[in-house]
Amino acid sequence: MLIELTDIAREYVVGGETVRALAGVTVHVGKGEWVAIVGQSGSGKSTLMNVIGCLDTPTRGTYRLNGHDVARLSDDELADIRNREIGFIFQNFQLLPRETALANVELPLVYRGVPARERRARAVAALEQVKLANRMTHKPTELSGGQRQRVAIARALAAEPSLLLADEPTGNLDSATGEDIVRLFEQLHGQGHTIVLVTHEPKLAARCPRAVRLSDGRVVGDGPGAQVAFGDPRP
Amino acid sequence: MSFSVDVLEGARIALGSLLAHRLRTVLTTVGIGIGVATLLAIVGITQGLDASFEAQLASLGSSTLYVAKQPWVQFGNWWEFRNRKPLTLAHVEAVRAQCGPCETVVPLVDEDEDLAFQGNELSAVNVTGTTEDWPRVSGFEVTRGRFLTQTDDDNLRLVAVVGADVADTLFPGVNPVGQTLRVGKKPFTVVGTLGRKGKVLDSSQDLVVVIPFHTFTGFFAGRRSVTIGVSVPRPELLDEAEDALVGILRRARQTPPGKSDDFAINRPEQLASTYQQLTGALYAVALGIGFITLLVGGIGIMNIMLVSVRERTREIGIRRALGARRRTIIVQFMLEAMLVSAVGGLLGTGVGLGGARLVSLVTPLAATVKPLTVLFGVGFAALVGLVFGIWPAARAASLDPVEALRQE
Repeated sequence: MLIELTDIAREYVVGGETVRALAGVTVHVGKGEWVAIVGQSGSGKSTLMNVIGCLDTPTRGTYRLNGHDVARLSDDELADIRNREIGFIFQNFQLLPRETALANVELPLVYRGVPARERRARAVAALEQVKLANRMTHKPTELSGGQRQRVAIARALAAEPSLLLADEPTGNLDSATGEDIVRLFEQLHGQGHTIVLVTHEPKLAARCPRAVRLSDGRVVGDGPGAQVAFGDPRP
Repeated sequence: MSFSVDVLEGARIALGSLLAHRLRTVLTTVGIGIGVATLLAIVGITQGLDASFEAQLASLGSSTLYVAKQPWVQFGNWWEFRNRKPLTLAHVEAVRAQCGPCETVVPLVDEDEDLAFQGNELSAVNVTGTTEDWPRVSGFEVTRGRFLTQTDDDNLRLVAVVGADVADTLFPGVNPVGQTLRVGKKPFTVVGTLGRKGKVLDSSQDLVVVIPFHTFTGFFAGRRSVTIGVSVPRPELLDEAEDALVGILRRARQTPPGKSDDFAINRPEQLASTYQQLTGALYAVALGIGFITLLVGGIGIMNIMLVSVRERTREIGIRRALGARRRTIIVQFMLEAMLVSAVGGLLGTGVGLGGARLVSLVTPLAATVKPLTVLFGVGFAALVGLVFGIWPAARAASLDPVEALRQE
């Protein structure tokens, strides 16, 4: 198993009141799987994504990512885990606006301490993989939305992480461009990448081989994407 | 990721960020620059003042003492000083006979008199009455003619030796030797001129006329206190000479035991310490102003760094998500603050040195800046950046990545 989430709970204290975003979630994801996490806003899917992405730590439960017991790691160790194990793909791309596409893709390798020459070669290779080799020296503002998202995917791929973690990757794109990105995911899945995709769109979740439906911080469905995405709210 | 990579990458990002906000960078730099410039100019002028005063005091003689009724610098009861018994020639003789470490002993009396030569006039010039050994105590050299002799003194001759300023002003283009100079109402024959010694505290030592001691006491104010000028062979003997003088004079003046000295032994280097006491407080205030200016510059840096952190919250979130540790973020922002202040420090050093140079050109103060001061200026500016950069950098590093990524 690549991801082993067991009885994960995450509570926040907001204005003296305790908000329970996750109330005991257990999900396992194997290597090479493509899993959608689907649910309406407030269902806890964003919190779950932050936990899976090691950006947030659960208040209860255990989380093993590629053999690491993540719940017990320090802030610096979490930064290193994010760097090595996770490739983030965000809804609003999260590229550095003043840097070129190439520099953006190199960034995780910079933080890993990869020497400049190798870093560059790997970044170029990643950009070629998303068919953006001719746009390397452009800054994000000079790129279209779809191109920006492909830069972000290249950035995630360049670090060769064990998990691609995508948060509404088509949310800011028109339907045609979104379709291109989904195809790219299908391609990456075919190459053996493990993908966790968080979305509120049942149509997108339905195209994933497996989907996990969340509601009120609990898993209410887990099965083939086409069934769980729209269907029965009970597991 | 190693610390050196943190620093390299941090420096690259800091530089990029500073270049991206040029106006802001320049203004912040100017703020810290003004602080450093103020500090350096003050230090430069202070060092210059001290150096020029030391040089001036050296011209008074480093192995000379002057015994007088009153101290040069007076603290306390003026009336008590005023009512002291005068020092007389008898005291001079006692010193000459009994003081072991003393090499040359001369009596000195002086008075301001008006001078005139063929329509040229000088008012209130110091006229000193003394004896033939005076050049050895005062350090003056005779450049033309001769100095006074014992015979001049014995015969109450109306002869005078004039200082360089007197020679230049009253005898332009004329050799003063052999000319008749009017001192007060008396005609004196000039027999020699003195070499130039310069100024002490803006008063010229060369505006002087020297005449025989007994000529002075005969023609000008008669019963007045004599100053005893004493030179010792080496400066190290000054303390010994002072002890000897105190003993001799207390005996000669029959000062009762337990009563404090009713005369003063004046030493030029004591003048220096008094000067430093008086000016030290002034310097401290000036330095304080410089530090406050720098502090204001530092607060400017902190302000701009806080703005920078706020503006780049999302960037920080992205970097953290992609694996930047807290330390990496701290280094990045600290370097940015230190870069701005070091550049400001360099700029301020240039302006400060220029300012000090300007002061030394347009005023009589000779401002000097030691090389170490420059290093201090730049280093101190960088330190200001470090101190005022810590808090903004720590704030940047402690941002929650999830919150930071959510920032628009």
